[in-house]
This record gives sequence, C-alpha cells and structure tokens, in this order.
Amino acid sequence: MKWVIIAVLFGICVAIGYLFSMKYKKRVQFYTALIMFAQKLDVEINFSRERLKKLIEGMDEKTKRNLFGLDKNFLNYLSGSEELTQEALFKNCPVLKPEEKEMVFLFFKSLGRSDVLGQSKEIQNFVKRFDENLTKCASENKKYGSLSLKLGFIAGLFIVVILL
Amino acid sequence: MLDGILPDSVLLPIKNKVGLSSLNEIRLRADKPILLSQMGQKYFLSENGRTRSYNEAMFATSSMIEEVVFRASECSIYSVNEQIKKGYIATPNGIRIGITGNVVEEGGVVKTMTGFSSVNIRIPHEVRNCSLKAYSCIVKPDGVLNTLIISPPGAGKTTFLRDFVYQLSERNMPYNALGLDERGELNIGRGLGNYADIISFASKKIGFENGIRSLAPNIIVTDELSEWEDVEAVKFASNCGVRILASTHSDSIESFLQKAAFKELIDENVFKRYVVFSMREGPGTLEGIYDENFSRMMRW
Repeated sequence: MKWVIIAVLFGICVAIGYLFSMKYKKRVQFYTALIMFAQKLDVEINFSRERLKKLIEGMDEKTKRNLFGLDKNFLNYLSGSEELTQEALFKNCPVLKPEEKEMVFLFFKSLGRSDVLGQSKEIQNFVKRFDENLTKCASENKKYGSLSLKLGFIAGLFIVVILL
Repeated sequence: MLDGILPDSVLLPIKNKVGLSSLNEIRLRADKPILLSQMGQKYFLSENGRTRSYNEAMFATSSMIEEVVFRASECSIYSVNEQIKKGYIATPNGIRIGITGNVVEEGGVVKTMTGFSSVNIRIPHEVRNCSLKAYSCIVKPDGVLNTLIISPPGAGKTTFLRDFVYQLSERNMPYNALGLDERGELNIGRGLGNYADIISFASKKIGFENGIRSLAPNIIVTDELSEWEDVEAVKFASNCGVRILASTHSDSIESFLQKAAFKELIDENVFKRYVVFSMREGPGTLEGIYDENFSRMMRW
C-alpha cells in the first residue's frame, strides 16, 4: 500500500510539473498559430479580397485548434449584431496575460475596418508585435517550461525519499 | 433582409411597426432623425413606428452609421472598397446603400472613404408585371427594339428592366439576355428569367466588351447610363448588332434631350423607344412612351 501511495504522489508531482510546462508550450503554439492566421489573412485579403467570414472558416484545422476558440468567438461576432468585447473574444482561451489580451483584441477589432492597403499594413504591424511576443514565449518555454518539468520530477523524488 | 445591417434598435420598429414591403428608403444621418420613405411619402422613424413628429423621432449617431457600413460590407470593408469609392455598397440581396463621408484622394484619384456620415438604404422591390403596359411598344415581330428608360432616381427604372427581361422569358422568347449589373441590383427576386447571364460589378466598358465577345447575347440590359464611356459602350454594342435595354436618370424627356453625352445616340437614332417614368403618383408612374423621333406613342 505504501508503495502505491508513493507512486501516486510521485505521479502527481510530475503531472503538475508537466501541466506548468504545457502552459508555456501552449503560449508558443498560440502565437505561432496567430501569426500564421494573420499572415494568411493578409495574403488572402490582397489576393482574393474575400469576406472575413469565408477566409476564417477556410483556415486549416491545426491553426484553428491552436487559437483556442478565438476564431469561433470572432465568427460569432461577425454573424451577430453585438459589439466585440474582450469577454466574448477570449471565452475559453486561458493562455494570454491581460496586456496580451488587449493587443490581440485590438488586432481582431481592426479586421475588416479599412481598405486593402490599410488593412494589409495594419496586419503586418500586428504580426511584428506578435512575433516579438512569440520570441518571448519561446524563451520562457525554454527556460521555465523544462524547469517546471524538472521541478515536478525533483519534488516527486523528494517526497519519495521522505516517505521512504 | 436588413438583419445584420441595421442595429436592433432601428430594425425592430421598422420590421414590427412599419413593414418592409412598402418601404423604399431608410436614411440615417449623423445626429439627425432617421427618415423613412414609404410610397413616395416621408416620415421619421420612432420607437412606435413611423411618425411626422420631430420630437418623437429616433436619431442616428456616427457610430451607428459606421457600424451599418461595416455590417453592410459583411464586416470586410476592403472587399467593397471599389464600391465605396463610387459612394455605395451593394449587398448580396440587392439592397443598395448610398454612403457619404470623407473622401480620401491622392493625385486626383479617390482611394477610399472614411468617417462615414450618412447612409441611404434603398430597398428593392419586385413589382410583377409592371413592364406589361409598355411591352407591346418595345417588342415587335422582328425582335426587341433598342429602348432607353428615363426616370428620376427611385422611380422604378431598375424594377421595370428586371420585369421586362423576365417577361421576355415568360413569353418563350429565348433571347440570350446579358445583364450588366454594375451595382448588384438587377439579379434579385425572380431575377431576369431563364435566358439571362449576369456580369456583376464590372464597368459598362468592360462588361459590354467581354460580354459580347464571350457570351454572344441577343440583348444587353444595363442600368444607369451616365458618362461618355457608357455611351461609347452602347454604340459598340449597337454596331455589333446587339439589342440594348438601358436606363438613365432624367426627370423628363425635355431634360434628357439636354444631356450632351447622349447627343450622338439621339442623332444616330440608336434608341427606337424611350420609356419615361416619374414620381408623380409615387414610384413607377409611367408618363409616356416615345419613338425615336420623340413622338409620344402612349399617354397615361
């Protein structure tokens, strides 16, 4: 019985470490997907000038998945007649910090509001800022992501040693 | 029809208290009362429907107008910028929204419009059989005569064009009609019938040239001839042996004859029939049909 408890506690510690490391990984995935999303919009707006709704619906599944529901929430706004709010846009999207939410919100709010040239420039400016965030997230992931996993593992070992 | 374009605060009184079936126009001007045009009469919009009382009127705001333009473009201003440059947006269901704002020019060329300050939402109506009064004057045993519809704005010329082409197909005249729908207004409701092709949102010049070369139409139907370029396109089609059914803005035959751009077409008798509409008894009042010598053939 003692060994089972030790194994469970060790597992819990490693899992907590893994969850923490995933948080950093998800942020990297989110910004990678957001940049991809913005760049694809930029190209399509310049080329086909297709409506936003159709462009977003046509995005690949991987990009959509890593946007953590932002695409769906934005599509809901496009289909309705309500104003776009941060609460509605970031529903089910837990990976962003408040100041990052503000920037991403401004990006979505700017979509569809100007002519091709203006829209394209605006998207490119946002992509630059997203790129900076991605670099930050990648270095955080490198630093703290693997650290969390290691810490979880060490904490687990520590508990094992104490209990033994 | 207007869902997703107008905010609920404006749409609900219109839908529930006024009704869309007889409504012709909705005008929103920043910080001014919302105006309705219904069967040629003007009203203010109030929470309880239409009113003549200024004090009861609902007012439009700048942000409301910005949002109407944004929603009318299906949340994609960039996709309709060419239309915005010409001062309107055409929605997929045939509503034409005239817009005003700050025109951004560069080197004498309009780049876009910003700061929208007013919109005029024109609601299209399908008036079935409205062209039948004039039908026998325009269609002869050897075919359809080149015809120009003359009317002031909002008097029913597009409705007439649409119904006329539809009537051709109903009467088993398998005319290959080509609709040049520059503003997305011709192909709504039951449209132009069974024998029509539509080129949408192209200029008259491009539409006439491409259409004649690739679609071999018997008749070209187009709305609102106004510039020299449009007149040249009509001459080109006429010289190619294609019949033309078109419209232009003018409030009478006399004022039409003063339009310099049309002088050549008049002198060369390109049009064999002129159908004149007015707003005298509301939209669609047929004033008369004239032959190529401007002799009145019918009077109402």
